[in-house]
Amino acid sequence: MPNNSALIFGYNNYTKEIVKNVKNEYSSVTIYSLDEKDMENEEYNIEHFDLSEDWDNIEQSVDIDNSIAFCILEDTAENIFLVISLRSTYKDLTIIAVASHKENANKLLMAGANKVIPLVETTADIITNMLESPISNQVLHDILYEKSDLKIAQIKIGKESHIKDEEIVNIDWSHYNGIIVLSVMHKDMSSEFIYSSKAKRHVIEEDDVLVVVGFEEDIKAFENKIGSKRYVNWSHWSW
Amino acid sequence: MFSRLIIDAAYALQTSKSYQSRKQFFKNLLDNNKYKYKKYVDIFMMTLIFFSVAVLIREVKYPLHDYLFYFNSYVISIIFFIEYILRFWIHSSMSAIIVNRAEHDSLLSREVRLMRAFKKIARVKASYIFSLTAIIDLLAVLPFFHELRLLRLFILFRVFKLFRYANSFQTLTSVLATKKFEFFTLAIFASIVIFVSSVLIYVMEANNPSSPVNTLFDAVYWSIVTISTVGYGDVTPITSEGRAVAMIVIIAGIAVLAFTTSLVVSAFTEKLDEIREVKTIEDITKIKHLYLVCGYENVAKDVVAKLIKRYNSVIILDEDEGRVEEAKKDGFTALNYDPGQVESYKKLRINMQTQVKGVLCLRESDVANVYSALTIRSLHKDVPILSLLIEESNRKKLQYAGIDTIVYPQELIGLITKELVGKPVAFEVVHELRSEDSNVHIRELAVTQRIIDNFSTVGELGNKKFRIVLLGISKKDTGHFYFNPLDETFIENGDFLLVIGNKHFIKEFELYLHKKVKNA
Repeated sequence: MPNNSALIFGYNNYTKEIVKNVKNEYSSVTIYSLDEKDMENEEYNIEHFDLSEDWDNIEQSVDIDNSIAFCILEDTAENIFLVISLRSTYKDLTIIAVASHKENANKLLMAGANKVIPLVETTADIITNMLESPISNQVLHDILYEKSDLKIAQIKIGKESHIKDEEIVNIDWSHYNGIIVLSVMHKDMSSEFIYSSKAKRHVIEEDDVLVVVGFEEDIKAFENKIGSKRYVNWSHWSW
Repeated sequence: MFSRLIIDAAYALQTSKSYQSRKQFFKNLLDNNKYKYKKYVDIFMMTLIFFSVAVLIREVKYPLHDYLFYFNSYVISIIFFIEYILRFWIHSSMSAIIVNRAEHDSLLSREVRLMRAFKKIARVKASYIFSLTAIIDLLAVLPFFHELRLLRLFILFRVFKLFRYANSFQTLTSVLATKKFEFFTLAIFASIVIFVSSVLIYVMEANNPSSPVNTLFDAVYWSIVTISTVGYGDVTPITSEGRAVAMIVIIAGIAVLAFTTSLVVSAFTEKLDEIREVKTIEDITKIKHLYLVCGYENVAKDVVAKLIKRYNSVIILDEDEGRVEEAKKDGFTALNYDPGQVESYKKLRINMQTQVKGVLCLRESDVANVYSALTIRSLHKDVPILSLLIEESNRKKLQYAGIDTIVYPQELIGLITKELVGKPVAFEVVHELRSEDSNVHIRELAVTQRIIDNFSTVGELGNKKFRIVLLGISKKDTGHFYFNPLDETFIENGDFLLVIGNKHFIKEFELYLHKKVKNA
């Protein structure tokens, strides 16, 4: 795991949910709040911060270059200011922000966030899918959030991979039992559905990432067969 | 003995299912605007009316064919008479009045007073016979007696029957009826002006041999033509006194016209919202399947837009007038009804069981959502309800209110962040699949008997030819999802195939599945 600390800026309803879901992924999770009163909270390790450029206190306690920041301040203007402040100081820091609307999400992206979750649109998408495509929604939900045995994995093509330098159209995926390859992400970060016209003629290169769905055992077998491993690298994420 | 016979007959009719269902059928056919076949009856009757009037007009200058004449005089009249009798029948139930009287009297342990029941029946039926619409209906039948030439003019009464069949006429009369008092005042004023001016002009002009006003009828005709500001000019005063009267009548005429116009306009302005609301509700009752959205705030706006994009009908209820206006401006059907009040749903006249696909409580307040959900649950125990949850601590309250699906946005954000930090590429891929804007979609294809007739196993489907990934099959019996099924797997009627691919290819694949390959 490249990021060893999670820094959550803002203490509100989202904080608890984020902490619950990411605490096992990081060696430390620190919450920063603008309100000094929150530091009295005994449940979480909460520290005070302000929106000045002075990040010395934080730098002393965590390795900021190997961290991921979640900006979830409730005030949109403050949240944007926080993202700009962090990005101007730390060029390589991975920043994930939560925005109320798409309009604010665009501003946060412009401010330098790597990924923004627009709350209203995301919730509306989920509700619409629940109503209109209940089965596919449930299946994708279970796969994505690992509620069933099915898993979705990213597999990076390594130097020694057997399928390197082969055209996608020539690979017989049915040869790899139990897994379904959904898409391929090229080195230039563009992602293509495996059967799309563009991807069809694509020659698999080193560092391409395949997105596959399958059971754990089958994914492992697939990794072994093609000679590649699961992989996450947040440094790639710069929209 | 006689009264016993009548009471028995009344009970027999009241308890006869076939009699009651027949009566209800005609009631729906003639009076129930929600009944789907009523419009055909209306159209048929309107066609007969227009045909009748056309015959009358043609008859003025040209001889009629016998068959046209008999059709117009007898067939149409008989149809209208049958309609009159049916309306007389369905207007009230004689048997119900007799049964009520019998039960009332036997409860008080006394002899059944049938005479009172008959009096009530006579009163109730007379109220129908002497109603304006019934009188028009009856007069429209009179051309049957075509030998009396004057009675043939009663064909024109058939035109008045149009009021019965066209809802907009009814709306117009109901709007104008709200200004009954003002119109009455105007009529009195206009009558006085016409009366006074007619007498005056007659007095001033009738003795002048060169004046066109010779009789009182000429004077009344001139007054009405002038006061209405029409002024044909065929009858004009020639004396100075007569012209002075004319000037006063012209000024009074402008006042009458202005008053009439303002009355009509104000009646419509005041009733406009109500008319629109009635129209909206009428339209809603005709929708087969709809989503009911309670509250129009941030998430609701997006959900409604997305559901409409997928060709769903959505009705928004919100007690806040501002939000309802906003929804209307956004192009959606919205009503300023409180979703927490039973009365709102009664006014809506929707069938929760058959019409409502789901209720979405999307207010950003748990209190409001619980209130709406409980109200809906009290009306129908099975309608699916989805609600937003704002505070995790309120989850149990929402469950207790009978909400089937709870969406807690904070929880979603937590799950998404977990996925984002663990598998960013996979997350984006799944996000793309769910998004309506992307080219690659995930779709649920329902397996029908027609598909089974042609394809019995997964291998036979040939999805790869269409560049489509078959992610799995959801079985109808167990609801279990079989990922990446083997080619030998059997598919069954009612299963769902989960396919991923370009939306155009999916469409082609779906069409291919429904083709009768084997029979062709």
